[in-house]
Formats: sequence, structure tokens, C-alpha cells
Amino acid sequence: MGNASFLWNAMTKSITDDYVLVEKFCLANYKFTDGDVIVFRSPNNHKEKHIKRIIAMPGDWIKVPHSYDMLKIPEGHCWVEGDNSASSLDSRSFGPVPLGLVQGRVTHIVWPPQRVGQVRRSIPEGRFSL
Amino acid sequence: MGNASFLWNAMTKSITGGLIALTISDRYASIVSVHGLSMYPTFNSSTNTFLGSLSDDYVLVEKFCLANYKFTDGDVIVFRSPNNHKEKHIKRIIAMPGDWIKVPHSYDMLKIPEGHCWVEGDNSASSLDSRSFGPVPLGLVQGRVTHIVWPPQRVGQVRRSIPEGRFSL
Repeated sequence: MGNASFLWNAMTKSITDDYVLVEKFCLANYKFTDGDVIVFRSPNNHKEKHIKRIIAMPGDWIKVPHSYDMLKIPEGHCWVEGDNSASSLDSRSFGPVPLGLVQGRVTHIVWPPQRVGQVRRSIPEGRFSL
Repeated sequence: MGNASFLWNAMTKSITGGLIALTISDRYASIVSVHGLSMYPTFNSSTNTFLGSLSDDYVLVEKFCLANYKFTDGDVIVFRSPNNHKEKHIKRIIAMPGDWIKVPHSYDMLKIPEGHCWVEGDNSASSLDSRSFGPVPLGLVQGRVTHIVWPPQRVGQVRRSIPEGRFSL
């Protein structure tokens, strides 16, 4: 879903990127939860937008991968990670993302036709989120 | 019959007008009121505290700057708070990405990270700004303040200026 890694898989079947539907009604009340896939402006480069999955919301404690630390997500921020951990530039690199940077939520894949369907909320296995 | 078509016309015109106003407010410019004293004396310099919120300044916020992110030091900007995405703040940009800034009340120099800016209120004594919550990601900026539009005796342009004594290399 926007990760470079996903493109590698797609390229074995076709050359096209996936196209997804991004809804912005969620921005009115900022109703996000863990597991949503969101579009947000990069904290390090305001001209870029990224698509990642929310792993933890403000106030949650999260286990930082490849470390023994637990990190508390600050107020007004969220922790995002790509589904393909091996090839994803996400909160493990640039830290929690301010919720004000979120531009919308991905609800459906609309192209290519064989992959049309709803994008489901899900927490990857093995991630603590207290 | 005449009444129904009159009502229909009035309704479609007001819906059209509403949509146009909403689009302009969302994309081009809007007018917001300024609360608090963190930008004194630039905003809210009225000393009449009896009237309270009736004397808040109203300012024009333009959003054309967001297309290319053309900000510079000294601009007054509106941004979503990094700690509370539901709040918007108005502060002045003191430093842009890559600048070195002297942290007040400290001997540190801090380099502003890529994609962030350092903001401070003009009234340092009473301002919650980057000295508390650190550099602000530029993606949180919602617009730039160009003019004060109310009250009438304070109508005028909001000028870009760097406060004295602030290093910005």
C-alpha cells in the first residue's frame, strides 16, 4: 500500500502501482484507531506524503522493535509502521508522527481490478500496544 | 408558483454562495480571531480587559503560501499544535530548516531539523512556543497571517520581522 516493497511484489504481476481511495471525513473529529491505514505529510519533508498503518495512539506504550525499550506515545502523536517491516521508512526512523499531519484514511483499493476491495484495519502480529 | 420558484432560486444561490465561501476559506484565505497575549504587541494590544473577547483582533490568513511552502524567517504563521491536533496556534517563524538557533536561557545552539521550523511568540514572557514543544514540522502549517482586519483602528499589514537579539545563522 504505497511501500516500495509492495511495488516489488506488484511488479512480478504488472507494472502499475495500486490506486487507493482516501477518505477525509475522519479528519473532522480525528476518529482514528490502531490499525487504520493513513496518509500523512512526512515530518521531515512537508512536501512528501506517506501511507502507513497506525500501530499506537496517544498515551499507548509501544515496544520499540530491536530494542528493549518501551516508548510512550506523546499527546497528539501516533506511531506508524509499514506492513512490510523490512523495507519501510516509518516511525522506527522518524519517531511518533503528530496527528495534525494526517491528511486522510485509506479505505479501499480501487485499481487494479483484481485487487479491488476494502482495506481492513488490523494490528500486525507480535506488536505490543498497551 | 411564483413563490416556489423564488424560494428555489434563493436556495440554490445561497448554497452556491456557501460552497464558494467554503472553498475560498479552505484554500485561499480566511479570517480568524486571535486569542491570548503571546503575540503582544503585534496582536491583541488593546489594554481594555473589561471587554474581554470582544476586543480580540481578527486577522487575515492567506493559504497561497502553502502551494510552494514559501515561508521565511519573520513570517507570522498559523499551525496545528504538535501536541494537540485539534488546536491551532499563531506564532512567528524565527528559524527555518538547517538554521542554527541559540536556545533562550541556555548555552546550547540547536540545529533546526529538515522539514521543521522554530516558532516563538512576540511576547516571550507569556508564550507557549518552540521553547516548550520544540521545532514544529512544516506540514502542520495552515497559513500565513498578512493583515489585521479588526478592530478598525488597528487595520494594517502584519510585517515580517525578526525580534532583536535572536541569533539565526
